[in-house]
Amino acid sequence: MTKLDVQQGTLALMILKTLDSMGPLHGYGVARRIEETSRGKLTVRYGTLYPSLLKLEMEGFVRSKWGVSDNNRRAKYYALTAAGKKQLAREQHEWRETNLILSWFLSPEPAPEAT
Amino acid sequence: MSAPRVWFLRLTSIFGRTRRERELTAEMESHAQLEADELVRRGVSPAEARRMALAHSGGVTAAHDAFRDQSGLPWLEQLVQDIRYGVRTLRRSPGFTLVIVVMLALGIGANTAIFSLIDAVVVRSLPVPHPEQLIEIGDPARVSSFSSGSPRTDLVSYPLYLDLRTHTRTLAGLAASGRSDRIDAHIGAADAPLEHPRGRFVSDNYFTLLGVPALRGRVFGDAENQGAGASPVAVISYGYWTRRFHNDPAVLGTSIVVDDNALTVVGITPPSFTGEIVGVSNDIWIPLTMQPALQPHTPTLTSRSASWLLLLGRVAPGRTLSEATAELGPLYTQLVVASASGRDGAEFVAAHHTMYIGEGARGFSRVRATFETPLFTLLIGVGLLLVIICANVANLLLARAVVRGREIAVRLALGANRGRLVRQLLTESVLLALTGSATGMLFAWWASRALIAQAFNGASVPLDLSIDVRVMAFTLGVSFIAVVIFGLVPALRASRVELATTIRASASSASSGAIGHRGRKAPLGKLLIAAQVALSVVMLVGAGMLVRSLRNVQAADVGLDRDHLLITDVDINARGYSGDRLQQLAHAVRDRIAAIPGVSAVTYSENGIFSGTDSGTNFEIPGFVARSPGDTNTYYDVVGANYVHGIGGHLLDGRDFAASDEGRAGRLALVNETFAATYFKNQRAVGKYIHLDDTTLVEIIGVVADTRDHSLTRKADVRVYFSYGQTGPGVDAPGSLRFLVRSKGEPASVAAQVRAAVVAVDPLLPIDGNTPLALLMEASILQQRLMAKLSTAFGVLALLLASVGLYGVMTYAISRRTREIGLRVALGARQGDVVRSVLFESLRLVAAGMLIGLPLALAAVRLLTSQLNGVETIDPPSIAAALGVLAASGVIASLLPALRASRVSPIVALQTD
Repeated sequence: MTKLDVQQGTLALMILKTLDSMGPLHGYGVARRIEETSRGKLTVRYGTLYPSLLKLEMEGFVRSKWGVSDNNRRAKYYALTAAGKKQLAREQHEWRETNLILSWFLSPEPAPEAT
Repeated sequence: MSAPRVWFLRLTSIFGRTRRERELTAEMESHAQLEADELVRRGVSPAEARRMALAHSGGVTAAHDAFRDQSGLPWLEQLVQDIRYGVRTLRRSPGFTLVIVVMLALGIGANTAIFSLIDAVVVRSLPVPHPEQLIEIGDPARVSSFSSGSPRTDLVSYPLYLDLRTHTRTLAGLAASGRSDRIDAHIGAADAPLEHPRGRFVSDNYFTLLGVPALRGRVFGDAENQGAGASPVAVISYGYWTRRFHNDPAVLGTSIVVDDNALTVVGITPPSFTGEIVGVSNDIWIPLTMQPALQPHTPTLTSRSASWLLLLGRVAPGRTLSEATAELGPLYTQLVVASASGRDGAEFVAAHHTMYIGEGARGFSRVRATFETPLFTLLIGVGLLLVIICANVANLLLARAVVRGREIAVRLALGANRGRLVRQLLTESVLLALTGSATGMLFAWWASRALIAQAFNGASVPLDLSIDVRVMAFTLGVSFIAVVIFGLVPALRASRVELATTIRASASSASSGAIGHRGRKAPLGKLLIAAQVALSVVMLVGAGMLVRSLRNVQAADVGLDRDHLLITDVDINARGYSGDRLQQLAHAVRDRIAAIPGVSAVTYSENGIFSGTDSGTNFEIPGFVARSPGDTNTYYDVVGANYVHGIGGHLLDGRDFAASDEGRAGRLALVNETFAATYFKNQRAVGKYIHLDDTTLVEIIGVVADTRDHSLTRKADVRVYFSYGQTGPGVDAPGSLRFLVRSKGEPASVAAQVRAAVVAVDPLLPIDGNTPLALLMEASILQQRLMAKLSTAFGVLALLLASVGLYGVMTYAISRRTREIGLRVALGARQGDVVRSVLFESLRLVAAGMLIGLPLALAAVRLLTSQLNGVETIDPPSIAAALGVLAASGVIASLLPALRASRVSPIVALQTD
């Protein structure tokens, strides 16, 4: 089973959600978590993860700080900001909407009748 | 919400770039480390864990790239990179860069200089509010003229001005000004040393109409309208205040004493205002009402025959310039007719005179009238020069682009973006263009000042030559056009390089010219040369014609002894000489001058020669039928005894004025050749009579050959010479006196003695001029001399540039064909053959250029007809000279490459690639 490369746009949402559920986490932690949550179906590469983190930071949705990991390694930790929390909620809502509309198109049931 | 923030962060992240990249590296390193730790915890060996962690990392470079794309401003950084690379490349070939920058500076600088001169002299409006509302009446070139006689259309008399001012309905106001001369003044007190500021008479509403406020004190107003002599005040300019009074605030209230009249300084104008005359910086403004007091011997305020004013008006609110023009023309004629005496009114209408009425935004200017046409002709010249320069630069860049072919090919092979490559080459060109224009601006600054110094022989001319926004925009525009022309073509060609051919061998094929286009023999380069040669032909032919025209003018037979005449102008009005006293003065001075050893003859006249004044009158000849009023109008002069001998003229018939003629009651006249031919076609003019009015008859006693006594370029007019003592109907009392002194040697050698002779008779008589005629004549053809000089300079420059270009192209072409030449030598061709074949090829190019250029030149020369004297538009000598010079330069330019080609050793050549 080939692993899918995660797309940039959805990656941002996943990172936000991960940081929301897990609290402040370093880059490696975020990557591992995403891979786990996707049940191994997604691969996160450096080339997509770090630019995405940087973008989120520039947009003000996360903030970063150098810290120390459990086993005494220096790592840069990312945490969700208040704006980030709001963005997460917004994107979640949008995603659900998109999903719903798409499902009407793709499912075999006819669309509800207009009254 | 986040776009500005993102942008801001991008901008600021340019700084500390290295630190951030290092941080990213550290972060990714830590990521790998953490992964390795995880793997170790799961039981993998540390070394294996590290390897696996790194294997998973994937896209570190991509991460850095993406990171870089996200942060900073990539286009800005690329631009900086391009600039730095461009500078390095240009510095690597300093000679090449220098030549291009110099040529660009020359082209752009010359264009900017001419453009800023045109702007200052011809285009710029007066520095007053709403100049577009101004309308002017009178000939704007006649800023210091005075005419006595019938009403005119180019100058206005004071009474006529007042009438116009009262009766106009389309103007909000009408101001008048006249006589811009240096006045003799004592500053501060009547016994202070004599100074010569420049003064102008202006009406009471002059400053308010123009909208010029007083910097200090006040400007003229109603107080200056209370009658002649009522308001002895003056306003000075800021420049004069600075130069003469060193910005002393106590200047208000100082007296300026002119001819026993004390004028009190009441105001100073702002720094931006130097008067309404472009090219002249006025020092003092005096109310018109003070004119009779200051010039008691030529009172003009009440006389309708004294025309000396130019008028400036402002259109009333709601009215347009065309409405005003439409009203003023007929109104003027109406007022002239209503107040004219004798035949003047009917003549004025019958002659259908068109009023000089036009837009007044640009003020008056004699400088403009003289230099407008030459400046525009020059603009065309420098424009052509710029085209030639751009062609040269393009050629040079082309050649260099070919040489850099390998470098470009390698970069393309390494994956360089073609667009990026073009952008980088273009950046180099932009750098050159910007350096060129910066240097060009400096050159322009120097050149425009040098040009003015040349034109006015060192006298400072107050033209505002500060680089204004338009000139700056023009320079940048020109340099960017230059960039497009010479930057894009080589850049695009270079980027179309075919990789394999170039990397392997650039010139192995005998027919390879431009890279990547087998079979084409660099036609672009040769085309450019042909174009340059064509343009050089145009410029050389033009220059040749202007030079010949100048020679014709300078060598023309002027009908008098031009090299031995000295003209001495004395101001009889300042001392009130007239009638018998004037005659006595003239005789006394003449006799004294005649006694000077170096003088061979002396005479005198009212209008002198090349002295700037002239007289005219009407007459009738029995038997001659006039077809228009102008037919019975003639120029005249009143002259002393032995006039023809005195000026070195040629008497064709009859006799000269003798001393005995002066006291005679009878009236006598000399006429010139043209007069005799016009009015007495097949008869002898001597003995006939001219009727000045019904009772005044004048007998013609002699015919003089035509003289060029007022202009070197104008054909001779009909002219009559009366005796200096005769006055009466048709001949006014003399208003001036000029002595015409014929010297045995150089006229300048007797100048001091002539001056002494005048002083001996009347020490207080002002001497306005004491100049050799030759100098006066040279000054009158200033414009022609300047044009000839400059067009020659341009022609030579064009020739030089074309030669340099030809040399470059031939060298390049030969270097391309080294193998072919070597082959031919190996097969038995001799040195002479090689040289001949190269020369032949280059001369073919030059000939092609000439073929295109010649018809262009002939067409272009039509633009010059107004400035050519005695030279036909198809002038074989000029054309032959131009072509000859070009051919010679072509040979010289290609000689070196030809010789170099002939010395190619076949062995070396065949090994070259």
